Amino acid sequence: MRSARYKLAGVALLCSAGMDQALADNPEHHNGVGSVNDPYVQAMEREIELRTIFQTDAKSSEDNILRQRISYGFSISDRVFLEAYAIGTRLPDQSFELEGYEIETKIQLTEQGEYNTDWGVILEYERQISESIAELATVLVASRQWGNWVGTLNLGIEYEFGSNIRDEIDRFASGQWRYRYREAFEPGVEFYADEFTLGIGPVLTGVIRGNGNNKWHWEAGLIAPLNDTTPDQTLRFLLEWEF
Amino acid sequence: MKMNGNLTTGRSFFARALQVLLLTLLCSAAWAQIPVFEIEIREHLFFPAEFEIPANQKVKLIIYNRDATPEEFESYELNREKVIVGNSQGVVFIGPLKPGEYPFFGEFNLKTALGKIIVK
Repeated sequence: MRSARYKLAGVALLCSAGMDQALADNPEHHNGVGSVNDPYVQAMEREIELRTIFQTDAKSSEDNILRQRISYGFSISDRVFLEAYAIGTRLPDQSFELEGYEIETKIQLTEQGEYNTDWGVILEYERQISESIAELATVLVASRQWGNWVGTLNLGIEYEFGSNIRDEIDRFASGQWRYRYREAFEPGVEFYADEFTLGIGPVLTGVIRGNGNNKWHWEAGLIAPLNDTTPDQTLRFLLEWEF
Repeated sequence: MKMNGNLTTGRSFFARALQVLLLTLLCSAAWAQIPVFEIEIREHLFFPAEFEIPANQKVKLIIYNRDATPEEFESYELNREKVIVGNSQGVVFIGPLKPGEYPFFGEFNLKTALGKIIVK
């Protein structure tokens, strides 16, 4: 009962903080597609991750934009995982540049299968290098299994601040509905929503085992827009080496 | 990409997602007392390597790792993985499961640490 009260308090905080804030006023080069996080942490886990987001659009200033994130992460216990990202972007007609960095902490709140839904929380700090823009975000992560289907939902609020941006609080959400067909091949559907992004599309994921405890986790998805401020196509790839 | 999109679509979607989340939270009530089964890992083997659990019921596994080295209890069929460091214990909740056989293995010792849960 005590943990249930904490969960409800967290959701109430999320609702009250996120709903009535002013929206950012410039969707230029914005794309809210990323990845959907699960709430699980393993002891002694280490990983290197490469994430690629490529978007195309009828509007030339939003077409042919590439975003890359590379990270190293490790668990400090069986409940807490730390990860640091370097983020790079190539805008139309420009060269690829290091844009910023991010530090992330994932905390697994409940044991997998202990309750109907598994819970976690992610705390993020992101900072741009060339401009004084930073973000602090909290993401509530929930995952539930129905037979061979797994549904995962990420709900977040972020505080953007810095001298090159109007301070504001935004909210975002993403979700994944995935079928556990084979370990190496699991098809699904994902959606992403934030102040400008609203998109949905198919995703394929899987795990390929190497020697010992080496594992390769891969994801590939194609997100189509559901509103006018989401790029026409967003391709996303993720490759994660666990060792 | 047009810049005059209707932002209310994303806002109402977020509100609906929160409603679904709240309902899910309310459904996640504390579980009743559930059967507990114990497994030991010794010299990179599971003991027992094969055991039965009841069908359509949630079960709690307590896994004791008696070795000095870590082991990972893993099963794609059970959708579970749990690293248990040396000389410690871990808890894994499984089920409710349909009758059948569900193999598991120790990821750090794939050739020796093998087992099977029989659900009846």
